[in-house]
Amino acid sequence: MAVSLAESLHIGVADIAMRKVRSLVTVLGIVLGVMCIMVVLAIVAGMNESTLNWMQERGGLSKVEIGYNWQYDFRKGGDPSFTLAELRKLQSLIPEARAFNPTISSWRSKTRYRDKYYNAGCFGVFPDMQIVENWYPDRGRFINELDVRENNNVVVLGSAVAEHFFGKRSPLGHSIMINDQMMQIIGVMSFKYWKSENQMWGENALDYLNHRMYIPLSTMLNKISPGTKIDQVEIIAENPDAAVALKKKLEPIVLQLKDGKRVFRVSSAQEQMDQMKQSSMIFGAIFVMIAAISLLVGGIVIMNIMLASIKERTREIGVRLAIGARRRDIFVQFMVQTVLITALGGVFGIGLGYAILDVVGGYLEMPMVARFDMIFVALAVSVGIGLIFGIAPAVKASNLDPVIALREE
Amino acid sequence: MEIIKTTNLIKDYNLGKVKVRALDGIDLVIEAGEFVAIMGPSGSGKSTLMHIIGCLDSPSGGDYFLDGDLVSKLPRHALAGIRNRKIGFVFQSFNLLPHLSILKNVELPLMYSGSSPRTRRHKAEEILNSVGLSDRLRHKPNELSGGQRQRVAIARAIVNTPSILLADEPTGNLDSQAGGDILEIFNNLHSQGNTVIMVTHDPAVAARADRIIQIRDGLIDYGSIAG
Repeated sequence: MAVSLAESLHIGVADIAMRKVRSLVTVLGIVLGVMCIMVVLAIVAGMNESTLNWMQERGGLSKVEIGYNWQYDFRKGGDPSFTLAELRKLQSLIPEARAFNPTISSWRSKTRYRDKYYNAGCFGVFPDMQIVENWYPDRGRFINELDVRENNNVVVLGSAVAEHFFGKRSPLGHSIMINDQMMQIIGVMSFKYWKSENQMWGENALDYLNHRMYIPLSTMLNKISPGTKIDQVEIIAENPDAAVALKKKLEPIVLQLKDGKRVFRVSSAQEQMDQMKQSSMIFGAIFVMIAAISLLVGGIVIMNIMLASIKERTREIGVRLAIGARRRDIFVQFMVQTVLITALGGVFGIGLGYAILDVVGGYLEMPMVARFDMIFVALAVSVGIGLIFGIAPAVKASNLDPVIALREE
Repeated sequence: MEIIKTTNLIKDYNLGKVKVRALDGIDLVIEAGEFVAIMGPSGSGKSTLMHIIGCLDSPSGGDYFLDGDLVSKLPRHALAGIRNRKIGFVFQSFNLLPHLSILKNVELPLMYSGSSPRTRRHKAEEILNSVGLSDRLRHKPNELSGGQRQRVAIARAIVNTPSILLADEPTGNLDSQAGGDILEIFNNLHSQGNTVIMVTHDPAVAARADRIIQIRDGLIDYGSIAG
């Protein structure tokens, strides 16, 4: 002899349908709280996704970087640069790496083709740059080992540079002047394009690469811009795990090369990714906490309205008891009703949150990613609120004395 | 067969420091199939007696046998089942649930006894038909007259075929015409073999019963035993 859950649900739905406006007002806090959670989860997921996409576009999670250590106090001495010999030694110590590319850049080099000038960034690189950037020439060829060894006067143009000097014509075989050096154009890089969902990053987040020129690292050091320092090396490992291992292996090697001075910092993309994820999680946690406060307040409001509604429905409870409802039946009736209300609020919150994702995303100029599991999180939270704040009203209702309840007007 | 038997039934209420004795040793026997009226001035303890007979309340002392079972010592949750299966209540103010259709109101006791929705509906329709309300199944209580509402209440009270029908001033809120109709239904139910116990202070109503039990100051004045 018991009222089944389906029965209780039926009663609950009927009760809520009867008091539509009140139920809606009751549940407002939950709706807003759940909506907040949805939006925050979507922002965090969006941030993580665009970070991941960016990382993948820039060499993926298998990348290890050696760069200037901004945290090092240079008053302690030390030279934050590598010589070509040091780089060769470093490279020989890590044969397991898939690609090894040091970069030096010169922004003050003058570039000229006949009477046209162009203020393009000039980069001295190894052939492995193609692997590191996952970027290849679509006309001609890239710099090879021989070019580096022989300090050859060759240059590969970014597509924007090529277009500037030659328009639609092929630049291959022509020469341009970089500073006072005549450089033969051996290739043109493919057009680099990456559209991020993140509006802050612009239409083509990688367009700056199209405005670059690449020459052998040795040519740069010895002919174009003597005295420029090599302070950046990018290495690609076989896979993300190997990158983490490689990073650990490189740290002491680099430290030893620089006489124990921490002028360089070795970092893996995986770590950077983890850090970004962590910071986006902290960001998310703060907002989820704010949402939780809203939910808590919402829960307390629901509890109070349910308590008031029980006062109002005392006679009904008395009648139900008189005709054979057990305390458990009354408890379940009110519990189910509270949970139904909060779950309903959760559904509204999810819908509303989903509806405003684009608006919020557009306003914040941030990518928002709605995932299916967020719906479960939001629903679980709202049902949980109902279960917690439904207890007190349900206990109060089920503890009523039938004689006193029936006497209530 | 004795459907109700009480021996030295006592009920005390604690009103702060003062202890009030509402029932002061009630010995009462009601046979199955009797139509009994309980009378008494307000404060005499007749409502308290009704609550105990109806298993809404438990006595402070003494024994109460319903249908041969000692129910006065049963815990609250067990009393709920007894109310559901053995007792049908009819109240002065009808006590229908205002938001439910009259069909749903009548189905309620069957729901708490665990009948399937189909059985419930079938039985409720049948009972409402027997009290002449088959054309009002979907109506809400406030769309009915007082007399019709009380007929719904009676239908709800008897739908689970209880051992006793307990009516507390069932005609108190009705005009004499409607009241007469309701008493006619009770008479019919009695003649079909139902045990009817009616609390009233109206001698004309009480006169319909086989026996009048008069309560005064928590004691039975007369009428404690049939015959």
